[in-house]
Order: sequence, then structure tokens, then C-alpha cells
Amino acid sequence: MRDNTLKYLLVLPAVVVVFATAIWPLIEAARLSFTVGRLNRPGSLEQYLGWENYTWAFLEEPAFWNSVWVTAVYTVLTVGLTTILALGLALLLAPGGRLRSSAQTLLILPFAMSPALIGVSFRFMFNPEFGLFDAFFGVLIPPLADVSWLADPNLAFAVVVMADVWGWIPFLTLVLIGGLASVPRDTIEAAQVDGASGWRVFRDVTLPQLGPVLAVVIILKSIFSLKTFDQVFMLTNGGPGTATQTLSHYIYFNGMKYGQIGYSAAVAWLMVIPMIFLTYAYAKFVFRKD
Amino acid sequence: MAEIKLNNLTKRWGEFVGVDSQSLHIKDREFLVLLGPSGCGKTTTMRMIAGLEDPTEGEVWIGDRMVNDDLPKDRDVAMVFQNYGLYPHMTIFENIAYPLRARGVAKSEINPRVEKAAEQVELTQFLDRKPKALSGGQRQRVALARAIVRTPKVFLMDEPLSNLDAKLRVTMRAELKHLSRELQVTTVYVTHDQIEAMTLADRVAVMKHGVIQQLGTPDEIYNDPANLFVAGFIGSPAMNLINGSVEGGEFVTTGGTRLVKLNTADRDKAILGVRADDMNVHGAGQGDIDVKIYAFENTGESTLLTVQWGRQRVIARGDRHLRKEQDDVVGISLDADHLYLFDPETEDRIRI
Ligand SMILES: Nc1ncnc2c1ncn2[C@@H]1O[C@H](COP(=O)(O)OP(=O)(O)O)[C@@H](O)[C@H]1O
Ligand SMILES: [Mg+2]
Repeated sequence: MRDNTLKYLLVLPAVVVVFATAIWPLIEAARLSFTVGRLNRPGSLEQYLGWENYTWAFLEEPAFWNSVWVTAVYTVLTVGLTTILALGLALLLAPGGRLRSSAQTLLILPFAMSPALIGVSFRFMFNPEFGLFDAFFGVLIPPLADVSWLADPNLAFAVVVMADVWGWIPFLTLVLIGGLASVPRDTIEAAQVDGASGWRVFRDVTLPQLGPVLAVVIILKSIFSLKTFDQVFMLTNGGPGTATQTLSHYIYFNGMKYGQIGYSAAVAWLMVIPMIFLTYAYAKFVFRKD
Repeated sequence: MAEIKLNNLTKRWGEFVGVDSQSLHIKDREFLVLLGPSGCGKTTTMRMIAGLEDPTEGEVWIGDRMVNDDLPKDRDVAMVFQNYGLYPHMTIFENIAYPLRARGVAKSEINPRVEKAAEQVELTQFLDRKPKALSGGQRQRVALARAIVRTPKVFLMDEPLSNLDAKLRVTMRAELKHLSRELQVTTVYVTHDQIEAMTLADRVAVMKHGVIQQLGTPDEIYNDPANLFVAGFIGSPAMNLINGSVEGGEFVTTGGTRLVKLNTADRDKAILGVRADDMNVHGAGQGDIDVKIYAFENTGESTLLTVQWGRQRVIARGDRHLRKEQDDVVGISLDADHLYLFDPETEDRIRI
């Protein structure tokens, strides 16, 4: 009995912290999403509207759909690119791979940088006056010398994607190196002896056994891609126009800039829905039995 | 079908020598066993034949081709791994079929061949299962089926029975022997178990510290060991090794007992080797020497007498109906035709 009480007592602080910092804000945001919720209008935080904020987003706001589209494309591109590149690097760096050693240490560096810092540093690198990449491209491909990367909607989008991929590759590579290390070497060697080419060994034996780890990587990266904010904020601030405005940035803009707390809470809740599915899938893979 | 030649094959990791300039000629259709204690370089030798390990020096020949630069897939070998190396995400059928699929065998041919291989190792009813749902012995048979589904030039087997329990090991050993005689494919078989080596091999290569100590038929390595290591490693119970010297044509134990006449020059130090089976047990006073029993063991099919011999203990095998007690005195005689003499310094055999 006393052990039992103690058990609950020990987890209590964690429960309290999670409730105060995650559950309560979620509930409060849900409540606000049904109110007029304007920061500059006293009392509007208790003035209930029903589903109007939601229908407004769906029916009256092209900017909402724009940010949904931006977020979707951004997520697909960053998840795809990061996973493929990280897998390639992991194959090179894993025990038995072609590269090894100090490269691994070097690799972790970008991940040690905060996303905001990555945003700032990429902005400088693409600066048309003194940017490193800009100079680089200028020398390699002269017609690109005068391109102002962040002023063109498509190029700006590409730069944001690039910055994100660059920042995430290291961590996912390390996760995948761990995953590769847990694929029994016997099975790979058996396939080599059985007559499989390098590519077939990878496709038939390595990849299927890496599946669960790969799933975790993809889900985890999807969660982070969906909620991308800092890099966009520092690099392009959603622009030019709304070309790089992700959902998070859209929520921030409506809530903080325009004071439409009720409306942005509603959009935030719309974003929670895919997140719940992803988190559930993630938990399922991470805590899977055997 | 092919012969295998290893020419001065060496594997080093930094300073450490795993396999030391090994030369070996394995004949076509031969079943060769690499036998030795754990860590002596058996697996490494086999992996170099398979192409899973690059030799530091030396050559591997399979048939009339030097295969050093060939990938494992191009060497036309099949291997059974110690931990089987089954593909956990594939069914048993897919596991066995994989060598065929990987080599682009026609689909119509795959089914009958997988079924035939499964039949040979009695796995037919498990083809739909995953390896996880099989017992150790069944997994071992899947690994075997995956090897025999093709007819490769060479079979390589790395301690395929070592993960099985004792009883299953005996059954599988007989199955392996039967299968190997049926298939007639050159086979290299690695084991640290001398019974497996004796029972399966056409020839055995006994290894120690990356060097082959003796290459010969099971008969030769058992009855004509080349040195002290082979003599001590082969046989159960191990050969009795008695310290002493040779004086005036007789072996004298360190305790001073004059044992047997030996037709060899005198030497200060010598080791006499005699197997338990070559020590005959008699009643007290009827052998060459009387000794006291230190321990008496009845194994059912025979009896083992550990006897105190001066300062040393030796083991003699007695008749299965013999019954003695600890501290009883018995007479022992040595079979003079089956004695071995070794130089304790070089550990080489001294021919007598
Ligand atoms: N990759 C490796 N790096 C360093 N040493 C190794 C490696 N593989 C094997 N060895 C060493 O080489 C020796 C022989 O190994 P192995 O051929 O596996 O022995 P066996 O199969 O006879 O038990 C062992 O001492 C082992 O520790
Ligand atoms: Mg081994």
C-alpha cells in the first residue's frame, strides 16, 4: 500500500508539469477557438461564437489554404529529402560503411545549432551583396550571380527547405546509423553469399529490417516539419508575400500581429489533428513490442 | 563442384595475426573440417574463402580461378552461418528461395526447387512461417535448405550445429553426413567439436593460433597425431600425457617409475602419450604397475578409472562390467603398440 502511494507521489510532479504546460494550454486554446478572441477588444475572450472561427478559415480565407499548401509541400519535400540524404549518409558512415571516424563528429555540428540560428546564417549566406552561397553560385554559374534568392517566391521556398534539410540531416543520420547497427550482420552477409548485388542486399535485406527505425524517422521529421516556425521567421518571415508562410507562421501572424487570438487558436487546433495521428503512430513504433 | 586452394593465406588486424600464412589444398568433392579451439582463426579462414573478409596476403583459388578480387556473390559458394543468418522478415519459403531469386532463376523453377530442398531437410509443413516461429533445430535446417537449394561449387558451414542441444546435435550430425554424401559438393566445415570433425570429415585440418597443426584423415589425426597439441585436442577423454624421461631405452616417469621399453635414444625430458583406451585394466599385481583408484566413473557404455600414478593422475578405460571403488588397487598395462612420445620443448612428436 505505502509503496503504491509512493509510486503515485513520485510521478505526480511530472503529471503536474505536463498538465500545466501542455494539457492546460491545449484546453484553453480549444476554448478560445470558440470565442471572438480579439486582444484589442476587452471581454471578447469570453464572447462565444460557436464554430465561426473554423468555418471562416475553411470558407473565407485563401491565406489559410495557402499556408496549408505551403506546409504540405514543405513537409513532403523536407521529410523526403532529409530521410533519403540521411539514409545515404548513414550507409556511408555506419560500421562497415565506406566512410567513418571524424566525419561522424563533424556531422553532429549543424544539429547543435538552433533552428533560428540556422535561419539567420542562411539569410546571410544568401545575401545578394556579401552572401557566401551567393558568391559561390556566382562563380560556378555566372547567370545566377545577380539572383536575389530570397526575393523570388520559388527560390525563397527552396532556400527554406534547404536550410531545414541541412539542419536535420545530422540527427536523423545518427538515428539511422543506430538502426543500421542493429541489423544483424549475418543476414547481410548471407545475402551477399546468396548472390545478391549491393543494391539488392540493401533493398531485400537491409531496408526491410530498417523499416521500423525508418518509420520513426519519417514520423518524427513529419511532426517537426509540420510545425516549422523559427527558420521561416528568421529567414523569410513568410515572404516574399506569403510564399513561405507555413501554418505555424500563419497562426503566429494572426494571433500576435493582428491580435486575432480566437481565430488563430482555431487554426492551431486544426493543426493539432494531424499531429495527434502522427504522435500516435510515433508512439506505436517507439513502444512497439519485440 | 571444384577444388579449393589456399596459398599462404594470411589475415592480420594491425599487429594481431588471425590466420598465419595458411596453405591448404581441398580436393574436389571433399568434406574438409577445420577443427580447433575457439579463436584459432577457423571462421576467418572460411570468411576469406567466401569473400566476406579480405586476406592481408595470399591467394584463394576456387576451381581454376583466383577469386581474391571476386565479390561473395560471384564466388558461387553457399554458406551456413553459426547463427544461421536467416532473413527475419521473410517466410521460410522466401528464405530458401532467396539464393535462386537473387541469381535470377526462372520463377517456374523456383517452386519445385524450394520444395525439394525443404523436403530434404523435412521442413515442408513450415514453409509459410517466419523464422521467429521455429525452434533452433528447425532454423538450422532452414539455413541448410537455403544452402542446398542451389548446387554451388562449394559449401561453407560455420559451426552449424553449435547452437543446438546435445541430442539434436547428434541427429543433425547424421543428417548432415547423409546429405553431404548424397550431394557430393566440396565442403568446408568449421567446428571446435572433435566428435563432429571425426564423424563428418574426409580430412581434418587441426588449427591453433592461425596455423594448421596437422592435416589428415580422422584416422590419422586420432591415431597418428603430429604433435602434442593435436594429441591433447583429439579424443575424449583427452590423451594421458605423462612427464618423464627416456633412460636406457625405457620411459621413466618424473616419480621414478620405469614404465615401458621404448626404442629411442635417451633424453632428459619427454612426454609419453597414451590414450585411456590403450591402458588395460587388470587385477592388482597382474599389470605392469599397481595403482590406486582416485575416482571410478561408470558412463554406462564403459568405465573410466582415474588413477594416481606417482604424482600424476591418468585415466584408463575399463570394461563396462568392471565395478571398482575409490582407493581400490588395480593393475595397469600399456599397449606398447599405441604409445606416443613428445618433446616437451618443441611439442613435436618423437617417432619411436
Ligand atoms: N574484425 C576483427 N578484428 C580484430 N580481430 C578479429 C576480428 N575478427 C576476428 N578477430 C580475431 O581473430 C581471431 C580468430 O577469430 P575467428 O576466426 O573468429 O576464430 P574461430 O572461428 O576459430 O573461433 C580471434 O582471436 C578473434 O578475436
Ligand atoms: Mg568461429
